[in-house]
Amino acid sequence: MRRRATAIAALLALGAALAIVAGAYATPERAAAPAADAGSAAASVKCGKTRTIGFMAPVTGPAASIGIQQVHWAQYYVATYNKTHKTKFKLQTEDTQLGAPTGTAEALKGAQALAGSSNVLGVVGPAGSNEIVGVTKSLKDAGLAWVSGSSTRTSLTTDGTRTGYMFRTVPPDAVQGTTAANFILNKLKYKRVYIIDDQESYSTGLADAVEARLKAAGATVSRDGVSQQQSDFSSLIAKIARDTQIVYIPWQLPPKGQAFGNQMKAAGKGTIKLMGADGLYDSSFAGVGAHVYDTNFPLNPKSKIIAGFKKGHGGDGEYFGAPTYAATQVIATAIDRACKKGSATRASVRAAIRSTNIPAAKSLIGVALRFNRNGDLSTLHKFGLYKSNGKDFVPIAG
Amino acid sequence: MNWSLFFDLTVSGLTLGSLYALIALGYSMVYGILKLLNFAHGDVYMIGAFVGWYTLHALGGPLNPTISGAAVLFVMFIVSMVACGVLGVAIERFAYRPLRNAPRIAPLISALGVSIFLQNSALLIFGAGFRDYGTFDLIGVKTFNIGQLFFSVTQLLTVVLAILLMIALTVFVARSRLGKAMRSTSFDREAASMMGIDVDRVISVTFFIGSALAGAAGVMFGLVFGQIYHFMGFIAGLKGFTAAVLGGIGSIPGAMVGGLIVGLAESYATGYLPQGSTFQNLYVFALLILVILIRPSGLFGKAAITKV
Repeated sequence: MRRRATAIAALLALGAALAIVAGAYATPERAAAPAADAGSAAASVKCGKTRTIGFMAPVTGPAASIGIQQVHWAQYYVATYNKTHKTKFKLQTEDTQLGAPTGTAEALKGAQALAGSSNVLGVVGPAGSNEIVGVTKSLKDAGLAWVSGSSTRTSLTTDGTRTGYMFRTVPPDAVQGTTAANFILNKLKYKRVYIIDDQESYSTGLADAVEARLKAAGATVSRDGVSQQQSDFSSLIAKIARDTQIVYIPWQLPPKGQAFGNQMKAAGKGTIKLMGADGLYDSSFAGVGAHVYDTNFPLNPKSKIIAGFKKGHGGDGEYFGAPTYAATQVIATAIDRACKKGSATRASVRAAIRSTNIPAAKSLIGVALRFNRNGDLSTLHKFGLYKSNGKDFVPIAG
Repeated sequence: MNWSLFFDLTVSGLTLGSLYALIALGYSMVYGILKLLNFAHGDVYMIGAFVGWYTLHALGGPLNPTISGAAVLFVMFIVSMVACGVLGVAIERFAYRPLRNAPRIAPLISALGVSIFLQNSALLIFGAGFRDYGTFDLIGVKTFNIGQLFFSVTQLLTVVLAILLMIALTVFVARSRLGKAMRSTSFDREAASMMGIDVDRVISVTFFIGSALAGAAGVMFGLVFGQIYHFMGFIAGLKGFTAAVLGGIGSIPGAMVGGLIVGLAESYATGYLPQGSTFQNLYVFALLILVILIRPSGLFGKAAITKV
């Protein structure tokens, strides 16, 4: 009896401890390290022949498979730029270990390193929305602007905390979520939908947006979540009713989408349609079968930039990293503009980013790169819709 | 009661549990003999999965195997088990043996170091991407049933093979000369040494067997769930360790039962508890804490008696 009481008391204590830890993690900005030297924001840096771009991505850790795509695309931009210009760029890379237990702390460490490095005039990344919340204070205090190629949480640019500092080359969840929900409701005319997020902020944000829109339209929506680390979906699949018409999985890792699709088939549920988001826009997910749909920015897989990239990467497009190419392009272009007189400040680079205007013809993501006041692309209002032909995604009308 | 869901969850739990049991055996055997928590064990399992993948592709890949599918599977298991066994022996020889007489925290730190070393080496050598086993192409989508329990061919293979390996290990430890030496060393290393048992050899064999089982589990994982990657050993190792502790660390039957309990608990939690798939790890580890508080030595473990 006493043992049982001890056990219950210990579990309650554990719960309380978890709540305290969760509370601490819920307010990362308050926990952020002291501000970097405010002087670095205004300090003028001699640009020289080689300029430095700070770069934050999950190079190692659980999300390394997508982080490495961002690394490859950023390096690809720098390499192609350096071939054709007298001035050169180099990346100062900080590993954020997104998804690891120490992930946000690593991102914060990286941000502080970039903030303290006087040569760094702007930053590409970080990848995750939680990371952005964690590094905001460090980067802002140092006067650094950052352009993310994958953080999609809507509030990042609308809550006013990062205005003038944060920019992104991916549209927020609200845009992609609306495109997906409208397609399910109006084109497919489905009413029984199962949504599974991967517990990362990219995924939960999109899942929330789609769920809200579908429910508002009267659809029956079941919602679940699964860890990005997980590869066994059999128990989860057992819960999906056989009369479900479509399963929406806005995940970040295409191989996980592929594994999920294959396990659905193994469980005899291969006739239920599957739909992913830009994170799953990859031939490995498309290869699950012709019952797979996806949304993505209007990339042109036949563009010369993509062809050149694929040539250097074993034929793999690694499309998740493509917006990071655009982010690197934005930062590099802004630094070049700010450096016209031989020296620049972080403030002048921020101003140059705000007035970015790269025409669609020179942009990888199919639209001109221009930002609104919040730091979102002002040119991208709708996502492209795709259907698998069994091997690859092909565009379809929405 | 939705029996179809219950049986589906049971099959899923048994499959997962078999993998955890094989991993737990390695933890338990090493702890039984060295009183060491080998935290690199989960990463040996990850290496086993990659060795299986490379063997599969050396034999032509899942689409065009140069020998029959069954033979490919057999070779994958053998190569992976031998490679992991050798890796386990090397880890013991270079990372743990020099610290055998050091304070107990030293080999523990060394184990964590080896774990990170293996993880990052895998990232460097195999890359950050996922590797697809292509099981459907190799084996096809077949299902078998025992009553209302429906198994896919890979699930059935996993459960049967895990049971066979566990029986073989139990017989080996109970009946063979080397098994007797392992039990003696586990009971009292010093006394075993004085009785003429080559303790170093026994420890090496223990590492070989434990790591070989982890290698087999790695290949099974690839076959059942399709994809492998460099970080897969972390959480699987943690679950295997949980299973070993739950069953009573140091106990071979305990590791087997612990593995199955963890697998089934995870599966039922996903199916029945609120937000089960999101918080399945919370439920599994809460179960561990509860069992340990009620029975600190685990289900099959014996309380240590210190003579004074």
